[in-house]
Amino acid sequence: MITLRGLTKRYGDTVAVDNLTLDVREGRVTGFLGPNGAGKSTTMRMILGLDRPSRGEALIGGRPYAALRHPVREVGALLDAKALHPARSARDHLLAMARSNGIPARRVDEVLETVGLAKVARRRAGGFSLGMYQRLGVAGALLGDPRVLIFDEPVNGLDPDGVRWIRELTRNLADEGRTVFLSSHLMSEMQLTADQLVIIGRGTLLANTSMSEFLANSAATAVRVRGPEPGSIAMLRHRLESHSADPAVRVDVVSDTELVVRGTTVEFVGDVAHALAVRLHELRTMSASLEQAYMELTAESVEYAVPGSTAGANPSPRQEAQV
Amino acid sequence: MSTITSPQRTLGRPRGGGLAGAVASEWTKLWSVRNPWGCVVAGLGLMSVFTYYYAAIARINHKPIQPVANAPVTAVILVQFVVVALAMTMVTNEYANGSVRATLLWVPVRARMLLAKTLVAGGVSFVLGLVLGVLGVAIAWPAFGGHATFGLGEVASQLLKMSAYLALVAVLTVGTAVALRSEASTFAAVFFLLAALPTVLVGIGGEFLTTVNDALPQSAGNHFALGHTDPYPPEVGFCVVLGWAVLAHVVGLTVLRRRDA
Repeated sequence: MITLRGLTKRYGDTVAVDNLTLDVREGRVTGFLGPNGAGKSTTMRMILGLDRPSRGEALIGGRPYAALRHPVREVGALLDAKALHPARSARDHLLAMARSNGIPARRVDEVLETVGLAKVARRRAGGFSLGMYQRLGVAGALLGDPRVLIFDEPVNGLDPDGVRWIRELTRNLADEGRTVFLSSHLMSEMQLTADQLVIIGRGTLLANTSMSEFLANSAATAVRVRGPEPGSIAMLRHRLESHSADPAVRVDVVSDTELVVRGTTVEFVGDVAHALAVRLHELRTMSASLEQAYMELTAESVEYAVPGSTAGANPSPRQEAQV
Repeated sequence: MSTITSPQRTLGRPRGGGLAGAVASEWTKLWSVRNPWGCVVAGLGLMSVFTYYYAAIARINHKPIQPVANAPVTAVILVQFVVVALAMTMVTNEYANGSVRATLLWVPVRARMLLAKTLVAGGVSFVLGLVLGVLGVAIAWPAFGGHATFGLGEVASQLLKMSAYLALVAVLTVGTAVALRSEASTFAAVFFLLAALPTVLVGIGGEFLTTVNDALPQSAGNHFALGHTDPYPPEVGFCVVLGWAVLAHVVGLTVLRRRDA
């Protein structure tokens, strides 16, 4: 488990990470989202003991990273996969890593096999493609068979096959009871991979919730209702608007035979329609995509917004997604 | 796709790591790139040429008879920069390509990481010094043409002292590199301390500037390895070089602990 307590990082007057308190639990894939400059990488670097927090602490299994006796055996990290000596071979890179933590050399060949780099293991890493770098980075993260894995943008530069490989890998790692903390900009990919979401904007925590709850609470999640008789649809609309004690319930009229109802459940709308004996041809939930829900949340905290852009404020045209 | 095999058998029980692991890791990194081999070759070349000319000039000019190892010891004024390059790139390369973050993930305790680099750079430089010294003696002896003395004990003592000096120069360089991070500024700083400043001080001359020069690592190392008793005993010369190396190490460690990687 990764524990953040009041984690704060300042650079002069700029607060990059502001008082983050959260737990990243084992047995799940926790997605870490936020606009560029939100503080994701800084947070990960503080967890890994690379950057010093200005205040607060980041613990792994209750201890700071630097206090781990064999850190590579406890935490696997993929940060900047290209950050290695271009003249060194992939195998020598991992060998140096293994020796630093008392890991036998045959484990190096094992992980190279796992990530599919066994054939190029003795070639200079400088000639690798971005996808090969990422695989080498994953090999390094897996080397010590750690309980905690931290991946910063792991699917960057991977082809569709590689993206799928990372998805299955992270899923398996979490299913084995490990803690998987992963950042990505690819919303569709994150929606497929993550169980839990941690979202930050301008260094502060915006959301820490399960994926299903996050999508359900999005304004883009709505109930679509359609019937053949305009009169009874109007009656239904009137009842939904007036009956509802909850001001969150909003009804949009798409046409005189079709409504989109937000802030309530498909069960409630169905019950009201039944009570009024309104004939329906369609009644269903339109789930928000992670991208829509995320855009709503972070619209105000985009660091480098294009002037005049309303990116995220109006997530339209609407896409319908199944969860 | 089942990608995670159960690696418990391959991995074994947690052992190793610590300082020994950190040293093994630095050693593996050092020799898995071409750079240190280049430094070794450059050192062999510089030492050969310098000691040959030193001895030949002593013979031609009928200089007083001197210990044969004076040739390699004097060559250190040039050869030391091979050691500087070797030690410096162990640090500055990692900052240039970002792999220092990997190093710190493997060995997160800053003092241990720095000590490992220091031990490997110092140890390699010491052994390299001995090899270069023996080569220098072998080349200088015939070139002296009788204008030198050969005593096994004397040669051994001088070469050991010279190698100790080179090891300390490597330590000083590692500390400076960790503090400054970039190759250009590290080389400039070390070159200024070891070569430029002594040249200027001796060039201007005067009692005060000579005293200042005697407190710099280059002249102190020279006094130590050549066995001078003036201006201070050889042991003091060693302590002066050691002091500079420790100072650079402490400054490097302080920066390493305070600054983000």
